[in-house]
Amino acid sequence: MEKSIENIWKEGFLKSDALVAPKINNLYSQKSIHIIDKFKRMFRINLIAIVVFSFAFLVVSYFIGIPITGIIFFVMLWVLVYFNKKLLNDLEQIDLGDSSYQYLKAFNQWKNKQISINKKFSRFLYPMIFISMLLGFWFKDAEGMPLGERLVDKILIGFPDIYLVNGIPLIGVVIVLLILVLLAYFGGRIYKWDLNIVYGRIFRKLDELMTDIESLRR
Amino acid sequence: MSSDFYKTSILPFAGIIIKLCRAYTNSQEDFEDYYQEVCLQIWRSKENFREESQWSTWVYRISLNVCLTLLKKKKNNVQHFASDSITAEETEDNFAFSDESLNLLYDAIRKLSEIDRAIIMLYLEEKSQKEIAEIIGTNPNNIGVRVKRIKMRLKKILDGKIY
Repeated sequence: MEKSIENIWKEGFLKSDALVAPKINNLYSQKSIHIIDKFKRMFRINLIAIVVFSFAFLVVSYFIGIPITGIIFFVMLWVLVYFNKKLLNDLEQIDLGDSSYQYLKAFNQWKNKQISINKKFSRFLYPMIFISMLLGFWFKDAEGMPLGERLVDKILIGFPDIYLVNGIPLIGVVIVLLILVLLAYFGGRIYKWDLNIVYGRIFRKLDELMTDIESLRR
Repeated sequence: MSSDFYKTSILPFAGIIIKLCRAYTNSQEDFEDYYQEVCLQIWRSKENFREESQWSTWVYRISLNVCLTLLKKKKNNVQHFASDSITAEETEDNFAFSDESLNLLYDAIRKLSEIDRAIIMLYLEEKSQKEIAEIIGTNPNNIGVRVKRIKMRLKKILDGKIY
């Protein structure tokens, strides 16, 4: 007599040893490696994009007549890439270790070091970007004379009594200094905000994973 | 996940979780990933359990959702199979049970649609129509009819009439 599917199911599992539950630990290792690998890929792509942009902007800045901006930009971005490439090399050295927890902890330490270095650098980078833009446009050729000087001439027509420092209106110097101070002060925060946009999701996933593993270890 | 939680809240249902995961995977490696992901999600969602249903219902529902989600992800990534079903060729070097009839039945179940697989397995695990409906989120009135149809389809597959 043919067996019903109900009997095949019941008897099959009575005889079978197929109901042995797998160990729950490998998942964390796989997830940690997968997420960190994803971060490494994104980080590498980010550095390549900065390199490509630095070259592209150098060329563009030459053609639009602000080569000073292009050169300062280029140097600044290459310093940024150099430090971060070194950091990436350090990241590649992180050993997978005995457990995914140790791997994640090592990655977290690296991440904090990387954020700390880049935050400090950003306090210097953003003001420098602003200065490079200012200098670029100041010295941009405007019918045989720098654009900045032409602008000062126009201001002097409207405000002949304005106080000048080395041929630049004092009010302008004060405003520029104020912007530089603000950029230096908020540079770290701007970097963190930027970092959160690019890597926020990955960092949140890693934090969740760390929390999971820590509660597993309790 | 504390081992206590695993022992008291997951292990009693490990049988059905394993059976469900096996129906949605075609390799031991995938099966282990699915099983672990299911356990992890049950553990993570324990705070969301409001005791409006039985714990077992909650566990089955999460198991099913995780299996279906992972299956969708897999289909979106590397498409190994063109339809919902897994062919016999693809499962030939799978995990095999010692019981040949059970192997054949599992192969047949894998040829069903995703939801039909869940319904028939819950039915085979002797869950009530009400509980099956609650787990898969449908009307309990339809379950009886659907089970009958699925059983007929399974029989045809097992008899070699449907491939």
